[in-house]
Parts: sequence; structure tokens; C-alpha cells
Amino acid sequence: MADSQFLVADGLRKSFGPFQAVDSVSFSIAQKEIFGLLGPNGAGKTTVIRIMSTVLKPDDGHVSIGGFSVTGDSDSVRKLIGVCPQELALYPELSAMDNLVFFGRMAGLGGRQARDAASENLERVGLQDRARDKVERFSGGMKRRVNIAIALMSRPQLLFLDEPTVGIDPQSRNHIFETVENLRSEGLTVLYTTHYMEEADRLCDRLAIMDHGRIISLGTPRDLKAGIGDPDRVTLEDVFLDHTGRSLRD
Amino acid sequence: MTLFLHIALLELKRYLTDRGELAFGLALPIVLFGLTYAVFGGGASFHATANIVDLDGGPGARELVRRLDALDTITVRERTLESADAALDRSAILAAFIIPDGFSEAIEAGESVSLTFKRRGYGGDEGQIVAGIVRSVAQEVGREGRVRRLTMATLEGSGVPLALIDEQTAPLIAESWDNPAVGVSVRYLDGEESDFLHRVVPGILVMFLMFSITLGAQTLVEERRLGTLERLMTTRLSAAQLFLGKFTAHVLRGSVQSLVLLVPAFALLRVGGLAGFVQVALICVLAAASVSGLALVITSLARTRDQATWSAVFITMFMTIFGGTFFDVGDGLLEVLSRFTLNRYAIESMVGILDRGQSLGDQGVELGILAGVGVCALVLAGALFRTSEGGR
Repeated sequence: MADSQFLVADGLRKSFGPFQAVDSVSFSIAQKEIFGLLGPNGAGKTTVIRIMSTVLKPDDGHVSIGGFSVTGDSDSVRKLIGVCPQELALYPELSAMDNLVFFGRMAGLGGRQARDAASENLERVGLQDRARDKVERFSGGMKRRVNIAIALMSRPQLLFLDEPTVGIDPQSRNHIFETVENLRSEGLTVLYTTHYMEEADRLCDRLAIMDHGRIISLGTPRDLKAGIGDPDRVTLEDVFLDHTGRSLRD
Repeated sequence: MTLFLHIALLELKRYLTDRGELAFGLALPIVLFGLTYAVFGGGASFHATANIVDLDGGPGARELVRRLDALDTITVRERTLESADAALDRSAILAAFIIPDGFSEAIEAGESVSLTFKRRGYGGDEGQIVAGIVRSVAQEVGREGRVRRLTMATLEGSGVPLALIDEQTAPLIAESWDNPAVGVSVRYLDGEESDFLHRVVPGILVMFLMFSITLGAQTLVEERRLGTLERLMTTRLSAAQLFLGKFTAHVLRGSVQSLVLLVPAFALLRVGGLAGFVQVALICVLAAASVSGLALVITSLARTRDQATWSAVFITMFMTIFGGTFFDVGDGLLEVLSRFTLNRYAIESMVGILDRGQSLGDQGVELGILAGVGVCALVLAGALFRTSEGGR
């Protein structure tokens, strides 16, 4: 892998008992790139993100972020990353502002810095007017936007967005797209997982399709489409179904 | 390095926004304390009704009834003979005392006279105790009658008016009732008179600290459920800081909860002075630390709310029942089991200060055990968390 790559994963393996969740996964992400990780349920996308965000240790393989080993120098890695988990990870009884300030403090920001960053990120996700409202009173889409804003509190260089648009209204979804595009223009590197193919097509510079813990295809959206037909007529969904099959998944 | 303080502040903020937990931790202890005091505390521990049938009606008989009614332990209920018999027949009462006709005349003459103790079966424990009290008061009245009669016989012909003798002796007799020459006080083996409140206040304080294990045991389970634990593990927060923060918050919460009970106990019920208040408050802080440590061990091991709740309930019940929370553990198996409870050490040290006039210096072993359990449990909880999936 080239030195210019910001994230390098090499031969990652992780099993839970007899279940092989991640099997020999290798890929790299360049700085300022939005990299999409696609796959059906249980493909291993979230496990890959949990390993890269220092939550899980891999059974085998290596990941480096910004030149730091995820397993050997996890403290340095945590200073570079922001994580927006698939499930909402908020304190519902606290206000949006309190949630953001708290996680800002956990990211090492001072009190004033945390409050300023919280205001900035709430504005970024369009919730500045609801800053003092308790999160438990928010709609699903608003909670998703708070979830993303928290991930930005550490001023990360690499942002993990694990299915950030699941189960929300079109307006909130569109707002999240715009937020991610703005982040890209600001130079942030993003690893993005999703089930929505049009999202991946619109946002991602490159994509990896995972199934059964393995990466089965990797390239730009156009390259992947060209792999099965005319890239101007084939959709990413056609590519996805061609690679992962049409049988139902749990 | 101060990240643990932010964890502690967050924990307290979340606690204060939860009205249910506030009620459980602060209001409920006060209510329970009030109920316990109302039911078990204050005044004599024995009280009964004496069913009296006065067939005499003379001054001697009325004096006996008056003196019985004046006792704190006895309430007199006067009945007719028919009413008493009917009540005995249907077991509404187990005993009645009959003052026979001629009672007053016999007392006046200094002669022997008997009351009748009519009872169903053996009269019940209460009836036996009341019989003893009635017998004692009646004998006192009889003795006074004899002394009066003897005095009058001795002074007969001396020219001293009998009315003057009565006038002089009546106040002396009344005073001897109000201030008996011989009193009885209860003293425990360790030499100090014990106060009900001196055991019940520590008991309730420690019991509610124990109950807070249930709240503390939920803390990581709840963070897991919310997804915030995993998110915290991607920040700069270390496991040690996470646990130290939770521990700090729980100790503060337990200490405030204890103060809420301690202040009225000392201010209104006067269970001790300022020095006692400060020393008992310090013991509460140590007890809160040991309880918080145990709660963190449970929360490190539990994966579901049910696991956390039932583990906490089992430990709480074990310690409350076998730790001598409201009674002396004495000897035997109970004493052995109590050594494995925090209640024993916390309550013993508080009772030592409140009831025996000891100081914190005399409670070294108990306080050392409480602090040791707190520190060891905190370290153990952190170690258990690090070895769990997703912990570090």
C-alpha cells in the first residue's frame, strides 16, 4: 500500500465463536476520500468499523490510521477518528448541546472549545434552534443528525459513518448527504457504510462490496458498473445484486 | 486526566433529571424512616389493657383504679361483671381483674383482701404481665392502708387529730409514686444505655445505601443499551477514568442520600451532637464507597438489565438480612454470616459512635474494611471490564 494512504487495512480477520465475521479484509483509503463499504446484513461491515475504531481487537491482520497502528497505538488513533455508530448513541434525557459538549470534553476539548464546537456542529446539521431541547423529544431524523454531530466533536481527520441514514425521512436524509459532501470539501476522509445504493453512487469516490466477511469487489462506482455492463445504463444496485445474489438475508 | 470528573458530572446530571430515581434515592428513605420510627420507635415497648370489674366502688378501690390508669404501660377499661364474663366467654378478652365488695373497707382496716384474676386459659402473655402489674399496685395500696392503720393505732390517745395524719402523709405517698425510691434502668452488656434510634438510624442509612447498589449496577448496562459505552470507548477516555468517574458519582450520590436522612435524624430526633454527625457522615461516605465498588463489579459482569438487577437484589437482601441491620447479630451462624456483609461494619461503627460514645479512632477495623472493599471492588470492576468484549 502506498504511503499516501490515510487508512490501510491488511488481512483483517475476526471471528465470534464459530462465526467468521471478517475474513482477510484488505483495502486502503486515501486522504480526503469518501470510501463506501457496501454489503448485505451480516456481511461484516460494522465489525470492520468496530475494529478500525479501536473497539474490537482483530484476531489477525493489521490496520493503520494516519500512520498509527490501531492495536499498537490506539490512543493516537482515537485522536484522529470520529465515529457515528449504526445505532443511535446519545443520552436521551440530556439536551443536544449537553450531549455534544460532553463528547467534546471526552475528545479532550476545553469547556469553551467544546461549547463552540457544539454550536458549530449543531449548525452544520441544522439543529442550532433545538440546541437546548432534550434529545428524547427529537424525531428519528433529528436524532440521526445529532448522532453525526457528536462524531464531529473530536474534529476528526477520519470519520466513520455506519449507515447514518437508516430509517429517516427524505429531508433529513438529504441534509445528511449535504453535510457529508461539505465535510469532503473541507478535506475530511470518510468511511461510509450503507444499504442505499444511490447514496453510495452519489457520495463515494470508491466502493468495496462485502459479503460473508470478505471483500468481493472494489473500485470506483463506474468501474464496478462497467464490470457487469454499460456503466451508463447499469445501476449500482445491479452490481450489488450481481455480486451478492438475490437470496434473502437475515 | 480530569475526564473522570466529566463522567461523574454526567452521571449526576442524568440522575437529577430522572424523577423516579430521585424519589427512590431521596424521598423514599425519609418516608420509610418516618414509618419505622412511628411503628417501632419512641415510648415504652409494652402496652396493654387491664379489664377491671369494681364490685366495691369505695375509695380504696377507686384509688387502685386511678393508679393503674396513671401507668404508661396500662390502659384501664372498667367493665361490669356480666360484661367481663361475656367477653371472656367469647374470647374477646383473656383476663379480667375483679375488685371484690368490701375491698375498700378491708384496706381501711388494714386487713388482708384478695383481688380475683379471672382468665381464659393461662390468660395470655399480656394477661400475665398485666396481672403482675395489677398485683404490684394493689399490694402497694394495701401496704399504705396497713401503715396508715398502724400509725393511727400508735397515735390513738395522743391527741393528734387523725385528719392531720392523713393531711401530712398523703403528699408523701403521692411523691413516692412520682419519684419512686428505687428505679430500674436497662443497661446493655457493654455498659451503656441503648437508644432505639441509635440502631434504627444507622440501619436505615445503610439499608438505603445498599439499595443504591441496584441503581449503580445498571450503569454500564444502560450505557451499553444506549450505545454510548461503545462510543465512549472510541474517545480518549480510558477504562480506569470511566470507572473512577462512575465511582465518584455513586459515592457522591450515596453521601447526599445519607445526608438527607442524617440531617433530620440529628436536627429533629437529636440522635447525637455535631461531632457525632460529622463522624457518622464520614462513615456514610466510606460505606457509599464500598457499596459503589460492589455495584461496579456487578455492572462489569452483567450483560442485561435483569442480570444486573437480580444480582444487586440478591446482594442487597443478603447483606440487609444477615448484616444485623436492625438487630444485634449475637453469636452463632448469623454472626459468621454477618462478617460477609458491609452492613455489619458500617452499622457497628455508627452504633459505636452514637450509642457508646466512641470515636472514629475506635472504629479502625470497620472503617478499614469498608474502605478496602471500596478500593478492591473498584480495581476488580475495571479489570473485569478490560477483559470483556468491547472493553479495554
